Amino acid sequence: MPSDPWINWDWLGTHIPLVLAALQQHVLLTGIAVSAGLVIALPLGIVAHRWPVMRNPVLTVTGILYTIPSLALFAFLVPYTGLSFLTAEIGLTSYTLLILARNVVVGLESVPPDILDAADGMGYRPFARLIYVELPLALPAIMAGIRVATVTTIGLITITALIGIGGLGQLINKGLIESFHTPLVVATVLCIALALVADLTLAGVQRLVVPWSRGVRA
Amino acid sequence: MTFLMQCARWLTDPAHWQGPDGIPIRLAQHVQLSAEAVALGALIALPIGILLGHFGRFGNLAINISNVGRAIPSFAILVIAFQAFGLGDTPIILALTALAIPPMVTNSYVALREVDADIKEAARGMGYRELAQLVRVELPLAVPLIMAGIRTSAVQVVATATLAAIVAGGGLGRYIVDGFATQIYTKVFAGALLVALLALATELSLAALQRALTPRGLRSLNAPASRRATSFKTA
Amino acid sequence: MIRKLLLSLTALAVLASACGSSNTPAAPKGTIVVGGFGFPESSILAQLYGQELAHDGYTITYKLNLGPREVVAPAIKTGQIDAYPGYAATDLEYYNNKAGEATGDPVATTAKLNSYLQPLGLVALTPSAAVDQNAFAVTKETAAKYNLVKLSDLAAVAGQLTMGAGPECLTRPYCIPGLDKTYGIKFKAFKPLDTDGPLTRAAFKNGSIQVGLVFSSDGDLNALGLVVLQDDKHLEAADNVVPIIRTAVASANVKALLNKVDAALTTADLVNMNSQIAIQHMDPDVIAKNYLTAHNYFA
Repeated sequence: MPSDPWINWDWLGTHIPLVLAALQQHVLLTGIAVSAGLVIALPLGIVAHRWPVMRNPVLTVTGILYTIPSLALFAFLVPYTGLSFLTAEIGLTSYTLLILARNVVVGLESVPPDILDAADGMGYRPFARLIYVELPLALPAIMAGIRVATVTTIGLITITALIGIGGLGQLINKGLIESFHTPLVVATVLCIALALVADLTLAGVQRLVVPWSRGVRA
Repeated sequence: MTFLMQCARWLTDPAHWQGPDGIPIRLAQHVQLSAEAVALGALIALPIGILLGHFGRFGNLAINISNVGRAIPSFAILVIAFQAFGLGDTPIILALTALAIPPMVTNSYVALREVDADIKEAARGMGYRELAQLVRVELPLAVPLIMAGIRTSAVQVVATATLAAIVAGGGLGRYIVDGFATQIYTKVFAGALLVALLALATELSLAALQRALTPRGLRSLNAPASRRATSFKTA
Repeated sequence: MIRKLLLSLTALAVLASACGSSNTPAAPKGTIVVGGFGFPESSILAQLYGQELAHDGYTITYKLNLGPREVVAPAIKTGQIDAYPGYAATDLEYYNNKAGEATGDPVATTAKLNSYLQPLGLVALTPSAAVDQNAFAVTKETAAKYNLVKLSDLAAVAGQLTMGAGPECLTRPYCIPGLDKTYGIKFKAFKPLDTDGPLTRAAFKNGSIQVGLVFSSDGDLNALGLVVLQDDKHLEAADNVVPIIRTAVASANVKALLNKVDAALTTADLVNMNSQIAIQHMDPDVIAKNYLTAHNYFA
């Protein structure tokens, strides 16, 4: 077997559309999973905060989901939802729930009681207080959670290739089947690059939205 | 309900508990791969994180290594290891170790940083020299967070070891991969269940270990969730 | 190959640009979904069929690298794909539930196959001369050490050897069970790897298997130092390439087009095209297009 360079630039040059298509699908999958996760986790976190008895159940259940290895979770879903986009997104969204819900809870808990008192004193009803006072103050933690959830999801999508869903994982599979290094290396580098770009972008968004906070860790 | 009952039957079939493809052997393989990777990773990551944390150097690197580590596609790393080093357990363990290192570095770094400056000053005042201070004062206080890092790594390694079957590795992932190939979905489901249980068992037992190793005085300080330095999922 | 669990879209864009549009008819002829097994040769064959049909005006969607027959057959039975490039004998033994009816005669085998396909709404067309059978290979060193030329030679020493193949080999009549029944071969151990893919090749290389399943049309066996053992008792039957399609899309035109591709295909062609993937890392659709153009299908 002739030796294979780790990156065959000729191949890369002639296969840009293939790579871009994979990248595009990867971004799409990420966007849907994180958005869906937020839509579920935000109310979930608010409930867990508002009714402390729910706090542990919510975090425990999402925590258990998070701990289940992704290939196993997809394997659980396949007999019911098939080898489909839906299966992948259900799995991916589940993994964002712990991170997002936990950060929503922590964010809300970090609002100083004085401010809550002041808001009550100013006449805010509970719901209005939540929307106009608590959530904005919880935003740094929530943003931090979105960042971690996004980076995590980007890494996990490569595994969805094993149930036939696209993204950069397709290139990894191609590299494996054809004993070919280049698509594999390209996919790995792009995956890491995508994650870092996403993280930086979201950090920038965070700075715009909540300029008074920096460096809140998830 | 019949599908789940079939899976239950697969799990209770004595034939599946014997032989080289039996549950005990696959479980043992899975645990062995994971344990070796975490141990090797800890051997590398803990000294680095602890020393960086103690001296307060390269903080950004130590914290951001987890960000990068989280972004590494675990499936790709396994395949790269296979293509670079061939078949066998060693390439798999190398790949798993690479994934195990980031959370342990970050957590041990943060653990050491968070030791109260006053305590360190008091120790210095009491005459502790550098190494003694590190070992006898800082490390015991840092144990909870260091253990959290090891625990995070361990759970992720167990999850990623499931993928080892794709590059001809052993372990519980074999049931999932082989089951898909032969369309025996009860096998796939049973394998997935075993893997999920193993991951949960790892998380719970190491959490208990973490609690046991936490000095009693610290145990009463119920650290809020945000104190967990990294949440890390690669598989 | 890696056991693929997927329905993956390939670079449809590449296909669209690869296919000349000089023959686009006014009214579209409908969509045909072409599926393929989880190894490169199947992707090439699927592309051959698909591009030939596309050139005639059909809209083709590809679902390649689906996995073994255990995934592909349900897919065509449920209409998720409309066609796939089959292999006469192995397909017969799948659809007849391992009744052991396949012979070395491709025409008879295909006729028997059709008797099982018909109630399922499927049909197999005319088998090609091109054949790709299961083959069992050993390294040149192993062959020299145990004096192995044909499979019967293996029976005596198999108890010392490890065999590697895809996990489905354990239950396929032309794989492990067949070796046992026809040759009395019982291996020391079996390693689940992939169906003639990189894992099997790597296992040969590091010595963890001594016998492995390959395909008789592989293009890289010699380069890897592997030698195929002769099937002297004819365990492997007529695995001629044959398109298997749903009767719903089996119009006279479609059948004629597909048979045209099959008629000219030879085993040497398969070997050649396989080596283009294995050694030159060319893409299946490009390889298929080159073949069709060179043989004047796109005239």
